[in-house]
Amino acid sequence: MAIAEPSISNILDSKIPDGPIEDKWDKCKFDLKLVNPSNKRKFNIIVVGTGLAGGAAAATLGELGYNVKSFCIQDSPRRAHSIAAQGGINAAKNYPNDGDSIWRLFYDTVKGGDFRSREANVYRLAQVANNIIDQCTAQGVPFAREYGGYLMNRSFGGAQVSRTFYCRGQTGQQLLLGAYQSLMRQVSAGKVNIYSRREMLDVIIIDGKARGIITRNLVTGEFETHIADAVVLATGGYGNAWYLSTNGNGSNVTAAWRCHKKGAFFANPCFTQIHPTCIPRSGDYQSKLTLMSESLRNDGRVWVPKRKDDNRPAKDIPDNERDYYLERRYPSFGNLAPRDIASRAAKLECDKGHGVNDTGQAVYLDFRDAIARDGEDVVRSKYGNLFHMYKKITGDDPYHVPMQIYPAVHYTMGGLWVDYHLQTTIPGLYALGEANFSDHGANRLGASALMQGLADGYFVIPYTIGDHLARHSFEKITEDHDACREALENAKGRVNKIMSIGGNRTPNQFHKELGGILWDYVGMERTKAGLETAIEKVQGLRSEFWEDLKIVGKNEELNQVLEKAGRVADYMEFAELIATDALNREESCGGHFRSEHQTADNEAMRHDDEFAYVAAWEFNGVGEKPSLHKEQLEFKNVPLATRSYK
Amino acid sequence: MSHETINLTLKIWRQPNAEVEGRFEEYKLEGVSTHASFLEMLDILNDELIEEGKEPVAFDHDCREGICGMCGMMINGQAHGPDNETTTCQLHMRRFQHNDKITIEPWRATAFPVIKDLVVDRSAFDRIITAGGYVSVNTGNAPDANTIPIPRKDQQKAMDAASCIGCGACVAACKNASAMLFTSAKVSQLALLPHGKSERGERVLKMVAKMDEEKFGSCTNTGECEAACPAGISLDNIARMNREYLKATLCSTES
Amino acid sequence: MNWLIRALSSSLGKKYVMGITGLLLCGFLITHLAGNLLLFVGAEEFNHYAHTLHEQKALLAVAEVGLFVLFVAHLILAVVTTWENKSARKQDYDVNQSKQGTPLLTFFPHNWMWITGVIVLGFILLHLVDFRLGIRNPGPEGEEPFDKAVRLLRDPITFCAYIAGVIVLGFHLSHGFSSAFQSLGLSHPKYNKFIKCAGTSFAVIVAVGFASFPLWAVLFQ
Repeated sequence: MAIAEPSISNILDSKIPDGPIEDKWDKCKFDLKLVNPSNKRKFNIIVVGTGLAGGAAAATLGELGYNVKSFCIQDSPRRAHSIAAQGGINAAKNYPNDGDSIWRLFYDTVKGGDFRSREANVYRLAQVANNIIDQCTAQGVPFAREYGGYLMNRSFGGAQVSRTFYCRGQTGQQLLLGAYQSLMRQVSAGKVNIYSRREMLDVIIIDGKARGIITRNLVTGEFETHIADAVVLATGGYGNAWYLSTNGNGSNVTAAWRCHKKGAFFANPCFTQIHPTCIPRSGDYQSKLTLMSESLRNDGRVWVPKRKDDNRPAKDIPDNERDYYLERRYPSFGNLAPRDIASRAAKLECDKGHGVNDTGQAVYLDFRDAIARDGEDVVRSKYGNLFHMYKKITGDDPYHVPMQIYPAVHYTMGGLWVDYHLQTTIPGLYALGEANFSDHGANRLGASALMQGLADGYFVIPYTIGDHLARHSFEKITEDHDACREALENAKGRVNKIMSIGGNRTPNQFHKELGGILWDYVGMERTKAGLETAIEKVQGLRSEFWEDLKIVGKNEELNQVLEKAGRVADYMEFAELIATDALNREESCGGHFRSEHQTADNEAMRHDDEFAYVAAWEFNGVGEKPSLHKEQLEFKNVPLATRSYK
Repeated sequence: MSHETINLTLKIWRQPNAEVEGRFEEYKLEGVSTHASFLEMLDILNDELIEEGKEPVAFDHDCREGICGMCGMMINGQAHGPDNETTTCQLHMRRFQHNDKITIEPWRATAFPVIKDLVVDRSAFDRIITAGGYVSVNTGNAPDANTIPIPRKDQQKAMDAASCIGCGACVAACKNASAMLFTSAKVSQLALLPHGKSERGERVLKMVAKMDEEKFGSCTNTGECEAACPAGISLDNIARMNREYLKATLCSTES
Repeated sequence: MNWLIRALSSSLGKKYVMGITGLLLCGFLITHLAGNLLLFVGAEEFNHYAHTLHEQKALLAVAEVGLFVLFVAHLILAVVTTWENKSARKQDYDVNQSKQGTPLLTFFPHNWMWITGVIVLGFILLHLVDFRLGIRNPGPEGEEPFDKAVRLLRDPITFCAYIAGVIVLGFHLSHGFSSAFQSLGLSHPKYNKFIKCAGTSFAVIVAVGFASFPLWAVLFQ
């Protein structure tokens, strides 16, 4: 059944069913062993994270009759960072009658991912996407409607059809609240218990199976052991490793990383999406970067001054002294070039010294021509809320002064390796949503993250987890089990170690420095030498961290410094893996651009013969070189081709 | 973007935990860029405090772009500070003057006990939603999304109500610490949509009962919640909930 | 009856009763004002009206009991909700500042409902003591209602208390009237402005109307 050839890996079994791609999911569902409805109540499942994937999974598993424990680090399950998604969610409903189909959504997603995702997973995603729209509508998600009362779509990058459903600029919020409400309904039914303000610090493995987790109660500092029959991770991405990103401040890699250290392989960590339209840094105090929707590039023109270090205000620079570099380099797509390409182009211009802003790390996104053409009112009706947000943050009025934008880390395509069942290499441990690697390859298309999170949570895990529960026997264990104690001591030990350093630098300062290294060497453009430097610098910083970290307060209370330190400690280890993966992947594809592998006109060059595989890394110890396992990718339905946007 | 810096005096509520009495402490902060956000200003203060070996000020925050609803504090007596339809994380220091004195307090309500400093426990909101703030539809039950057309104006009104971010500013700003705006936003959203109609009566009765049980105050129609709401939730929702509750009470099947 | 008890003990139910009793009391104010306006018509007409009214013993008894019940219900609920509202925030803020576009928070009538309510209660008690019970300032036996009204209104204490009392009452009504509609859910963006205007106008009419009697008594009698 496995597609991976033994010569490449003898470990990874992706469990992709045989047969034509259209029938794979049906076949998989038929082959899955079922848990009798009355037996479901005998099983306990832990779901970590309450975003779209985790919230949807916990609610649905509760509906099925399992006993679910749901964990989140925030004060309420309603706050997970899925809430910040703006644009929309894709589905091939073909309501606009413009020729969309499941096949086309599948095709666009595989191509958009630059041929580094798993075909079978993507096809399933496209198949269940329609059910998501139905489900969310029934939950009371107020999707945009036409005057006749029927659902409305809008267009998004990477597709030539309108297939994006949306709730103003708050689609993520509405979908998340829909999942949250379903979750709270199960709380009311007694099927789900919520554990908020809890951070997962370790996974308990017994007889090779994931059987529980260790958490720290963030209010009391208490370490808790939670036992279950399966563990579902839906803990999001790791974009905050770069310090400045569009992620929420709380988003972190800790849960996934601790599982990796216990044996779950980490796949393609170097695949990171850098979003081109974010509000640039304004100073050293900056704590996060704010995304401005991609839709702005429909009417805004991106440019930099032709002259280096040109300090004149934008309005004083005449047209012939402006370089509209996207229009120049990509005449057919122009300002709407895909995210990875637009981001890299901006960096290139700034590196050449054409950047604007005090930092030289920004380009203009100018609406002057759109306002002259359509009038201010039309522009306001399209983008009013975004202009308002921009003004609130920068103090500049984009109706009169061009916006300044710069790319920022936005989404991480890499994640824990999972098979077709979304199970990691640890049996009984599943990873959903951004926490896994499976669906977006090397680059994610807009409006696909919401789709994947909800597909995994509502429509995949509820089926596949039953197979694991039905096929295995689960001995009764208590907190006294050696494995539980060991995991508990492990988690406590790490916290104690952090508390006992007694150095001089704050976790935030270390995080900032680490983010700087990653941004400089493992950012939009990567080189062999740069990545080697990065690994060296990360190792150096990590030793400094364990010698010079300063923590105040104690463990036995709400201690946000300690929380932060624990997460930074994990980034210190994880960052090395990102760089290692980037170093290994001697090609450019999607969000991963290696300078050595580009065409004469600076375009990405893939090496399908050598690198059409998933790089799944096995942990061998901190500072030890991880082992690489390869899952060969096959493209039988979407033929391999070079992306071109010229 | 030109940079200016300002000096501030901060009077901040410090309380180690729920059991201990809190008090105000004053801090001087110098050279804060006016481009920094309010929370970044607190980050700067906290880094300084840690360096001095003092405990930093605890405050809730996450997305820092105004949507997660995690942040929130009383800034000079105003929930989320002086700007309308703005969360604390989106408030920027250019809104303040050199040498300003800023008083920062946590949300104060019996239903929102202080956990530490500016961090409060808002789980009462979760319990109100748990009481009935949902449509009872299991995954897989849904018919095609276009089966029931929804008039655009209803969808828009539902969306207006659904925009609530659950931050608790309405409770904090209300002189009675009432949760009417929060509860009514959810009741309204689901009452306006056809999918939520079958359980609308039961929903409003249960949610209001839970709201009362959580010791929120009652509504005296002062409108302070609406003014403080960063998501622009309207008082009309409260009127709608009052109507829904009256209707549900008169038409319920209980004896 | 469980449902009724449950509904009336909920925060919304209490507000319904507050609103309904408030509006009914407003109705009483209208009839009271209309009757009193006969003072301006002439002594004979006013006395005739008063005697006719007092002859309807059964009706009067029912009306008085009804009024008393309305008033007491309004009062008790005011006390209960105020107490509940106070305990919903045990520790007050160090700084209070409205976000409703004016720094003069204190000028909003809605912040004074409790205080104005208490003042109005005092005023009404005084009014009852004077007119209904005749304890504080008893007149001669067989005094005509018109003469009694003029005599009492010209009393300096009564004069001041009445002027102040009805102004405070107007203040109370300017929030209470429209608020009752909102509490009962009788609110719609289309009509809200009208309700608000009606509330303010009503408050002004009541305040000016009732204040006119002591002024008239002092200036023209």
